[in-house]
Amino acid sequence: MSALLSSPARRSRALGWGAIVLVVAYLGATLGVAHGSYYLQSLIPVAAVFAILALSLDLAAGMTGLYSLGHAGLFALGAYATTLMNAKFGWNVFVMLPVSIIGVGIVGIILGALSLRVSGLYFAIMTFIFTLVVVVLLSDFSFTGGLQGISGPILPDFPEALAFLGSSVVWCVGLAFLVTVVIVWSIRSSPLYAILLAIRDAEPFAAAAGVRTSLMKVGIFGLSAALAGLAGWAFSFLGFISPGQFSWTVSVNILVMVILGGMNTRLGPIIGAIFVTAFPTVISIDPLIQEVIFGAIFVLVIVFFPQGIVGILAGVVRRLRRRPLPATAEGTIEDARRPVADATLAVVEHGELSDDFALEARGVDFGYVRGTRVLRDVDMRVRRGSIHGLIGPNGSGKSTLVNLISGQLHPDSGTIAANGHRIERLGASQRAGRGVMRTFQTAVLVRELSARQNVGIGMYGTLHRVASRALLWPLFPSAHRDGRTLAARANSALSAVGLGSAWPGARVADVPHGVEQLIQLAAACVGEPSILILDEPLAGLSGGEVEQVSEILRGLKRDGVTVIVVEHQTRFIFEMCDEVTVLAAGELVKSGTAAEVRADERVREVYLGQ
Amino acid sequence: MLLQVLLSGLAIGSIYGLVAMGFAVVFYVTRVINFATGQLLMLSIMITAGLSRAGLPDGVSIVVGLAASAVVGVIIYFIAVRTVLRFDRFSFAWLVSTLGVAIVLQTGAALIWGPTSRGFPALLNRQTIRIGAAAITWQELTTIVVAAAAVIGFEVFRRRTLFGKVGMAISSDPEMAAAVGARVTGYAVAAFAIGGLLAGAAGVLVGPITYSNPYLGDTYGIAGFVALMIGGIEKPAAAMGGGLVLGVLSVAANTFINSQASDWFPFVVVVIVLLIAPHGLFASGNPFARWRSSAAARRASLGAEGRS
Repeated sequence: MSALLSSPARRSRALGWGAIVLVVAYLGATLGVAHGSYYLQSLIPVAAVFAILALSLDLAAGMTGLYSLGHAGLFALGAYATTLMNAKFGWNVFVMLPVSIIGVGIVGIILGALSLRVSGLYFAIMTFIFTLVVVVLLSDFSFTGGLQGISGPILPDFPEALAFLGSSVVWCVGLAFLVTVVIVWSIRSSPLYAILLAIRDAEPFAAAAGVRTSLMKVGIFGLSAALAGLAGWAFSFLGFISPGQFSWTVSVNILVMVILGGMNTRLGPIIGAIFVTAFPTVISIDPLIQEVIFGAIFVLVIVFFPQGIVGILAGVVRRLRRRPLPATAEGTIEDARRPVADATLAVVEHGELSDDFALEARGVDFGYVRGTRVLRDVDMRVRRGSIHGLIGPNGSGKSTLVNLISGQLHPDSGTIAANGHRIERLGASQRAGRGVMRTFQTAVLVRELSARQNVGIGMYGTLHRVASRALLWPLFPSAHRDGRTLAARANSALSAVGLGSAWPGARVADVPHGVEQLIQLAAACVGEPSILILDEPLAGLSGGEVEQVSEILRGLKRDGVTVIVVEHQTRFIFEMCDEVTVLAAGELVKSGTAAEVRADERVREVYLGQ
Repeated sequence: MLLQVLLSGLAIGSIYGLVAMGFAVVFYVTRVINFATGQLLMLSIMITAGLSRAGLPDGVSIVVGLAASAVVGVIIYFIAVRTVLRFDRFSFAWLVSTLGVAIVLQTGAALIWGPTSRGFPALLNRQTIRIGAAAITWQELTTIVVAAAAVIGFEVFRRRTLFGKVGMAISSDPEMAAAVGARVTGYAVAAFAIGGLLAGAAGVLVGPITYSNPYLGDTYGIAGFVALMIGGIEKPAAAMGGGLVLGVLSVAANTFINSQASDWFPFVVVVIVLLIAPHGLFASGNPFARWRSSAAARRASLGAEGRS
């Protein structure tokens, strides 16, 4: 993806030609199989169907962290719906193609919506039970053919003029596989990919960037289910179907295919599917011994090779190509040894403040547990375009207040208004849509992505319909333009926080802690917030980096952004902030200009310890 | 009629409940669902039946069968759970590895003892007690007594002994518990051993009715898992409650709907329960909390509920 984003047009054109050559080669290979021996025609289409399932599961499990054990059930629905509607009601098999895809997709959306409300484990269990229920229903009803199963519909042969193409079933499965590859790989090359990984690894970060994470998860699972429905449709033409082919072990098999090949990789699920499907036919021994070996492979793979075949190879390549990382900004190495307190901070010139408040919290009450209130009747007003400090001793409720403002939490009573609109009942992503963005005390970023891609997540709100376009991303000319703009803006945001040169391409897993903090600051700034909340932005930063943050804050103020800073370093707060709010033990102690607050008797008592 | 349904239901429900407790005890300490629990039930049946056929006294065969289930449970912990938890505590890798073990145990048993059903010592299954119009075998009565003893014993142990309290501490925060000196590995081993023992006990108790078959693990493993979901995964006692509810409802469905109803009826029950009370009928609190990626997000949903 990074290549696609950063490379000039010429390179992307070369990639385009490469893709065309690949597709032509693939179609040639399909033609070969369509004329191939009975052995090939029975083995390859089954492998292709399971590759579709593995790719669709990787979309849910590998990229979005939704460990579905329902794929066998969804697969069964597609296959049985096609077979039964054709056999009992005479529906044309091609009518059943969209019906299977959409119908199973809707089942997936319902299943996801019902089970994702609780947690990831609950989702795995619900989908597991879904597969059990589907299999029991298929076995117990007589119209499904019961345990014996039912013979699948017959796909019509090609007409006379196209007879040279060979077996129509092979083509049908082959095209279904191609469509799946195009969709899944498109998502991988689109900006949505980074957002999905953020939902998987750093959900609060994604929500703070404006991503409606629950909706996105349900949508992705729906898409994954729809692809499983497509697999089921194609599978019905391969002969007899019976409930035993869709039992819960098949769900686990699909998961093993993904893990064995390599989770969250382009080729991994396909390689895994080929391996697992070919295994029983290539090594023909006693089916019981084969099954034992199979189970043992499950355990061995997950214990010793959790990254899978492709994951291991990619790791080796990355190690060979690793480049040394640059310093943060010029002179940082020396600055790093300088204690933070010595860093010189420019004194803010107090200009004319407007009377207009960007953010107003009134009478906010909140408790994590019923009966114990963490915040009591707190008021906080932040002037538009000012830098507002929020300080207090540990446990005074600063982070809680910030979480209430940014939507991670909701107040028990009281109101919060941003830019004149009440926001206290909105979710975190909707507040981001209203211009309220934030950073976190400990940076939550996607460690396996580059700094540039992480900053790109912050631009989610500025991308038009990214989720729907991602399905066919490389085919849209506008997508290439958007991709380039995205990369350019991410790069400039990173330069603005002092991470120019080689940093944008560096993986977050490889960068030091201070750089992570700066990356999340860049990700928050790039989303064009009107109110930016920084939760302890200086934690773990060196002197030079602190200076960098001060410079960024001044820049934001010049641009008219309202900034709220939670920080322990009072020196930084009093020098940078126009106004300061002090909390202690969940109550408001004092709110006023920096000078007033510093002079206040009670503030000195509770916080400064003087 | 109703009394008969209740008695038979409680008897079979005790079996489901014991398996569900086997799942729950392991989950309670390690936050892992051991999907090979059903196969541990099968293992005790197969070994007890095999030794009994070889001429050993029933008592000895049963003890060896139970011990085998407990030991294999511990082996599963070391081979398939500890190894993947060390890699990543919060991943679902154990899901695949324990299912892999389940497949190995099941097909391994089919290889050794053959895939067909064979006999099992009748034990107490021949004597029947009549209570009014209803009848119950001594075997069924023993099952109910064992299940009750298991729940009471576990609860007393959990609440009244230091060992049990440390187990609760590990359950809620293993890192913290380890920091204050709890031996987390020891507790995990104990949990897998107790889990295996409970499943093994269920096996020996149900064996006279089912005979011995390598695929029993699948049937009872799934039934126990469904019972676990009905009762609630967080507390072993809740799991037993789920088993009893499932047992009574299944027998009722068999009696009042048709003789095939117990195939699909449990799933109807569990789906309804999961939709209405996702954490189970007898649970309180949020058992899956640890998998939520952020505590804040969880609090947000709780806050939303609290207001409405």
